[in-house]
Amino acid sequence: MKTSAKITWCPGCGNFGIMRAFEKAVKMIGNARVVVSSGIGCHGKIADYLKVPSFHVIHGRVPPFLTGFKLANPEMISVGFVGDGDAMNEGIEHLIHAARRNTDISIFLHNNGVFGLTTGQVTATSPKGQKGRSTPYGNPENPIEPCSLMLMSGATFVARAFAGDIQKLAQIMYDAMKHRGFSFVEILQPCVSFNNFWGIRDEIKWVERADSVQTALKLCSDKKVCGVFYQKEDETFEEAIYRIYRR
Amino acid sequence: MFDFNVCIAGAAGDGVKEAGEVLAKLFSRMGYNVFVYQEYESLIRGGHNASVVRISDRKVHAHRFYYDAMICLEDYVLKNHIERLKGFLIHDAKFECEYSNSFPVPLSEFVKEENLSFLYRNAAALGSFCHLSGVELKFLNEVFQSEYGEKSGVDVELAKIAFDYAERNFDRLMEIPAKKSQDGNVFSGSEAIALGMVDAGLEYYFAYPMTPASPVLHFLAKKKLAYAIQPESEIAAIMMAIGSAYAGKRSATGTSGGGFALMSESISLAAMAEIPLLIILAQRSAPSTGMATFTAQEDLYFSLSPAHGEFPVIVASPLTLKDSYILAGTLLNLAWKFQTPTILLTEKHMTESYENEDLDGVEVEEVDIFSSVTDDVFPRYEITESGISRFAVPPAIVKCNSNEHDEFGITTDDAKMATEMYAKRMRKEEEILKEVKKLEPYWLIKNGQDTIVTWGSNFGAVLEAAEELGYSVLGIRFLRPLILPKLGGNVICVECNYRGLLAGLIERETGIDVARVLRWDGRPFTPEEVKEELARR
Repeated sequence: MKTSAKITWCPGCGNFGIMRAFEKAVKMIGNARVVVSSGIGCHGKIADYLKVPSFHVIHGRVPPFLTGFKLANPEMISVGFVGDGDAMNEGIEHLIHAARRNTDISIFLHNNGVFGLTTGQVTATSPKGQKGRSTPYGNPENPIEPCSLMLMSGATFVARAFAGDIQKLAQIMYDAMKHRGFSFVEILQPCVSFNNFWGIRDEIKWVERADSVQTALKLCSDKKVCGVFYQKEDETFEEAIYRIYRR
Repeated sequence: MFDFNVCIAGAAGDGVKEAGEVLAKLFSRMGYNVFVYQEYESLIRGGHNASVVRISDRKVHAHRFYYDAMICLEDYVLKNHIERLKGFLIHDAKFECEYSNSFPVPLSEFVKEENLSFLYRNAAALGSFCHLSGVELKFLNEVFQSEYGEKSGVDVELAKIAFDYAERNFDRLMEIPAKKSQDGNVFSGSEAIALGMVDAGLEYYFAYPMTPASPVLHFLAKKKLAYAIQPESEIAAIMMAIGSAYAGKRSATGTSGGGFALMSESISLAAMAEIPLLIILAQRSAPSTGMATFTAQEDLYFSLSPAHGEFPVIVASPLTLKDSYILAGTLLNLAWKFQTPTILLTEKHMTESYENEDLDGVEVEEVDIFSSVTDDVFPRYEITESGISRFAVPPAIVKCNSNEHDEFGITTDDAKMATEMYAKRMRKEEEILKEVKKLEPYWLIKNGQDTIVTWGSNFGAVLEAAEELGYSVLGIRFLRPLILPKLGGNVICVECNYRGLLAGLIERETGIDVARVLRWDGRPFTPEEVKEELARR
């Protein structure tokens, strides 16, 4: 499933696990057609490496791009790889709107809590106090919690996984892609160069999905808890549009 | 020659705009040519709205400055217009008026008696207008019925009440006979743009509301002529359009200056990824929010250089309502032919003005799209002599990229590949130039030694003034690439901005001096105003 592009991620980067898990998940789906989009940052390079139709877009704009694509080609499974800087800083509004629309796309958030490609500045998911090149005396801001935000925005599938557990990540990616509607997976992705948290591997707890948003919010509040937090069926954006237009 | 200019004025919420449209459709049905200028403020109720309806034997593309008749629904708006009024005045009898040739009609009383909202006074006013101007009431009723369907009964009844009242109290002032009975196809510039895009194969239109581009979205949505979607922002709108174009569907977006500024980054993306995309840029007064509902031509340079980096882009600006239809369609076709963004640059005065027209002539120019499943990555960006590569869409393995890329769309920083790929994109400019030369890049109407150059909606007013005073007219349609004829004599440019942006462009291109007739008060030129400006020289 690889192109001839040379992989330029740092050795030990969490992105390798994410890519391997995605390849597994696509194989599990079988002959379904998958299209991929990615944003700006280290994560965005995944578009070059995967031998599938892809569009490497600009900072934060993966969700509206995929919304337009999915409307025009509902046959294909539409997957967006986004970064924490990419989707939680610039472009955060698009993610919220895609969630409330229940557009039938899957968003995989590579969350390493740092701007890697621009050499280590804090992002919207970096904890308060984290030091980076632009915050040498500590991050003055509180972080956004992506799964809570997505649950509150009306996402119909919200999950968290770890880049180091490829089996479980692949299963969650598969479930997300199979989900009819907006699916969001936060992937804890260690950045070996600027925010190495491989050490959390043994502390991760896996949970079963909750039957209410309230319970799911409680589950995801612990950053070391992974699993599918919540899932429900609802009319998708595309279905609503086709219903209105009946063309 | 019959040429009649009527103004309807009142507050927002009085149905002034609708009355103007109805009057235009009425006279179009009677076989006349019409042009309607709509003026309104950025508020929902109150304030001042006006609709100027010009009716003529010949084809006109402008309203006139002076009014032969006026319908006034609120006393306080009369002062905005009284100096322009040279004919008769119909006003609501609820207020006193000192104008000598005035006809008070108890419009408010009529609607009160029928227990209707004040909005219906417009129908009554049109009824009394029909008597005074000698128009058969049946034409008005026909328009009400075709416009409002089952709900038209109330309008028909009120028009009859006011018509009868006028008949009992006033002598008929004139006779406007029906020349022939026709369908009365009256369109706004926005509707013409929408229909042009649809006839060129538009399937998806994404837009965030912004005056004066919103009516394009409204019209497409109401008529379901294409999927018409309103996302969270202009950035989302253009990115969705890029998404659906990547899927192989003809897509467009539309906005005004502020929204266009937000789209800038994505325009650059579409250019780098060679995604075909039409952007409607309907100008209004600026900078920033400026005067949100008034016309301007201030974004010329912005549209010519719409984003970071160098890339091929085609910019055209329609001169008439029919031209709005033609160019919208042409630009969508060109976007697909050359796989690059195209921009339809127009103004509030075009998108919100009305003319009677037969809109036809635009067709889909098909392009080959490869859409089969592939085992390997498709060479989407194959280096070609023309700069145009084969278009392919998923499920083919097509890789598009915001980064500089190789022939397969894979990111590259390689100096040789970057040089070749950049040049490949830029080579399209030569092909575009060849194509645009075949597409009437300008209209030149020879009528005198000296030439008035103009663009956009000013064309109509300029054409009339020039014909009367003996000037040639050069109306520029394509602004990028800009192709100019040889210009002799004095050259005067008429445009709605402060510096004379087109004039400056022509000076740089040709080295000749261009005189300027300019305004930046948000109002469009009328033929009288152009004549006055020229006479002053």
